[in-house]
Amino acid sequence: MARNGMVIELDRCQGCRACMEACKVENNTPQGNFWMYVFRLEEGEYPDTKVRFLPRPCMHCDNPPCVTVCPVQARFKNENGAVVVDWDKCIGCHYCVVACPYGVNYFNWKDPEKAYYLDWKDKDLVAATGGAIPPYQNPDLMGRYGPQQRRVAGGGHLKGVVEKCSFCVQRVEQNLPPACVEVCPVQALHFGDLDDPNSDVSKTLSRKRSFRLKEELNTQPKVFYVGQSPPGARAREIEAVKAKQ
Amino acid sequence: MKLVAIDPNLRGAGPFADEWLPIKPGTDLALALALCNAIIAQGTLDRQYLVNHTNAPFLVQEDGAFLRADGKEQVWDEASGAAKAFSTPGIKPALEGRVNAQGRNVRPAFQVFKEHVAQYTPEWADPICGIPAEQIRRVARDLGQNAMIGSTILLDGVELPYRPVSMMFYHMSQQELGFQASRAMFMVFMLLGASEAVGGLQVDTSWAVHSGFNAMENATIKNPPYDFTLSNSKFFPINSVNPGMIAKVILDPQKYEVNKLPEMAIVHMANVLTSFTDQPVMEEAWKKIPFVAVIDPWLSRTADLVADVVLPAATMEKYEGPIGAGDGYEDATAFRVPIMEPLFQSRGEMDIYLDLTEKAGRLFGSGGFLDRLNTALSLKDPNRLELSAKPAVRDIFDRWAKSQGLSEGIRFFETKGVWNKGPVSPRKKYGYGQDPPFSGIRARLYGEGLLRLQKEMQAKGAAQTYWQDYTPLPTWRPPTMWSSPPKYDLTLTSYKKIEFKQSRASQVALLAELAPEQRVAINPATARAKGIRDGDMVLVESHNAVTGQTRQVKAKAALTEAIRPDVVGMPHHYGEVARHPLTRGQGPTPNTLFFTGEGYVTNTADNTFHVRVRIEKA
Repeated sequence: MARNGMVIELDRCQGCRACMEACKVENNTPQGNFWMYVFRLEEGEYPDTKVRFLPRPCMHCDNPPCVTVCPVQARFKNENGAVVVDWDKCIGCHYCVVACPYGVNYFNWKDPEKAYYLDWKDKDLVAATGGAIPPYQNPDLMGRYGPQQRRVAGGGHLKGVVEKCSFCVQRVEQNLPPACVEVCPVQALHFGDLDDPNSDVSKTLSRKRSFRLKEELNTQPKVFYVGQSPPGARAREIEAVKAKQ
Repeated sequence: MKLVAIDPNLRGAGPFADEWLPIKPGTDLALALALCNAIIAQGTLDRQYLVNHTNAPFLVQEDGAFLRADGKEQVWDEASGAAKAFSTPGIKPALEGRVNAQGRNVRPAFQVFKEHVAQYTPEWADPICGIPAEQIRRVARDLGQNAMIGSTILLDGVELPYRPVSMMFYHMSQQELGFQASRAMFMVFMLLGASEAVGGLQVDTSWAVHSGFNAMENATIKNPPYDFTLSNSKFFPINSVNPGMIAKVILDPQKYEVNKLPEMAIVHMANVLTSFTDQPVMEEAWKKIPFVAVIDPWLSRTADLVADVVLPAATMEKYEGPIGAGDGYEDATAFRVPIMEPLFQSRGEMDIYLDLTEKAGRLFGSGGFLDRLNTALSLKDPNRLELSAKPAVRDIFDRWAKSQGLSEGIRFFETKGVWNKGPVSPRKKYGYGQDPPFSGIRARLYGEGLLRLQKEMQAKGAAQTYWQDYTPLPTWRPPTMWSSPPKYDLTLTSYKKIEFKQSRASQVALLAELAPEQRVAINPATARAKGIRDGDMVLVESHNAVTGQTRQVKAKAALTEAIRPDVVGMPHHYGEVARHPLTRGQGPTPNTLFFTGEGYVTNTADNTFHVRVRIEKA
């Protein structure tokens, strides 16, 4: 049992969004769903312009409002402290979407067959791919995880279900870091047990001053930022990535 | 480390830049000259380096040529008060002053340079570059102080000059005055002695005399007819072989005194019709090439519009390499090994070329493809390819790996991944680490060969537009685009988005999801003045100051305070790069708006990625 968290070194992040891409590839998320998102922010006016980047996974709060409001206990904190969604149980009521102050939840408006780049029921495609398994049915993500044996990885991607970052439960179970951490070309993302003083995350936190997003709400996020001060209230998002309509 | 970003568009350097010099496009030469001026004025010169490792002490005659005796360049020896061959032991060459030698008035090249840049003060550059003079002086001071001239550092037992100031200006050369701008920026670091010193500017990750060092100096101009690349021509005697300029030649061979045009072309993993200036000229010209084969994993725009044959290439499913994977400090080699059998009808390019050359009767025997592979891959006995048997691709690279000293052969890469060869010795890495230093060559502060070429170009009747930038010292002139009428009040530049590679990635679904369409970056003040809001569709119209041609595209506006108000930016991806459902509606490439040809190429025929434009709400 661990209390896994993430430490993000903002002074290393180059805003390349490779973590967003790695997350999509690992978790087979539908178009427009970004369990990991990198804000590109701008402050000030020309020529005194400041540009900064802010990766935003799920905060995996120790005091998660989304878990409190979930009426069907689909949302829960797992044995490693990750806040996860049981997509078998989710009824898509949106309470978690409203309760979360970080905007990390994505509601699936479409059937998975229509939410990916190819029409996976198209006969030509089926013939050309030799009946390959569609990304939303990735067997690695369809299974049951943890002591509770619940379906909490990125499988199914069912219509009417809310989904979000799981800290890559399927990888953590194999002692691998989440995909975003693995792929970061400048090692800006760190992952590990916040309760272990020898973990990478604890050591980084002991060396550097950190902040968390919206700490005043007492959500107790397990995602910490170091290397920069928090973005100002007048920061504007540039180059936003939105779902293609 | 202090980082200064010199760019009209702050982009991804933003969070890391301690200082932003939002330079006007096309004026890097003026900035570099002003930095040289300020560095000379503040006196932070590495005279040891200039005297011993550059041609700065060489005596220049009034006609611009070096003073020579018995074929040796002469320097002024302050010890004996006489001109001596530069290589004479024990002399004390002067960098400054005017003397009379061999009955001629001569000056050391550094003196000529110093007098030349005296006019280029930071105050002079201020309105040209749009950067306050004080900011230019501050950067010059920072460079001068941080260069730590005279300091040394001990690396692996080797004492080397330590000059921890550097600059990255790779693509700065792709502007009309880019050739001389690059030279002038290099000169900034020559003055500081930071060229190829520890912490300084390095041309490559390890030291070698660059193949162009002598080739450029000794470039020759032939008599016409010229070949279609215009190599060794009176137009571009130093030639970057730019497909955009070749397209101009294809469309008007007589103008360029070319009598033979290409009858066929093989396009290998490139999308020439979208990635070069200028797109309409490229498309018109390439349609005139009688036979085009394209090797590409995508049905690129090039393949779609002009290919007679498309040979689908594998991507991850092939042997490809070797690929240098060193970081400059550790040396490493990587090699791509296939993760699966090639998909569909695709094949690795090596398989394709083996088959092509076999069919063409050029695979076997002396001078055949296999013979060429033996040379190109430096295959050594007993691992050289037999010239009479067609090998498997894996076998070719197995022989390569064994020739490199890996007894396991290609299996090393199949099982171990990257071949890490350990730290690069300072003896290999630094010009100063050589014996003699810099392998005995002298960097050219003064480009005598450029002046020679200029005179030859003039003698052969080349127009001023071709020879005007062949000057021995970098010399400022206003870029041609500035002659466009005032209503073209903005300059367009293009740039790379970190999400994509060149014009070959925006059709990739997962990448395009991150950056789905073309956006024109506009400063909010400019947008307000023109009644444009974020997300509005805008018309961008470019103007060619030489021909009067205009070009138009439409794309959505993206407002940002991180760009100059007199500049608009468009990433160089998009433009329906491939026939692919996902590229529909992604918007245009800026290469439609840029021009090629006179006024819009460098003096080495290279692309110019800037043009004057106007914008309005569409």
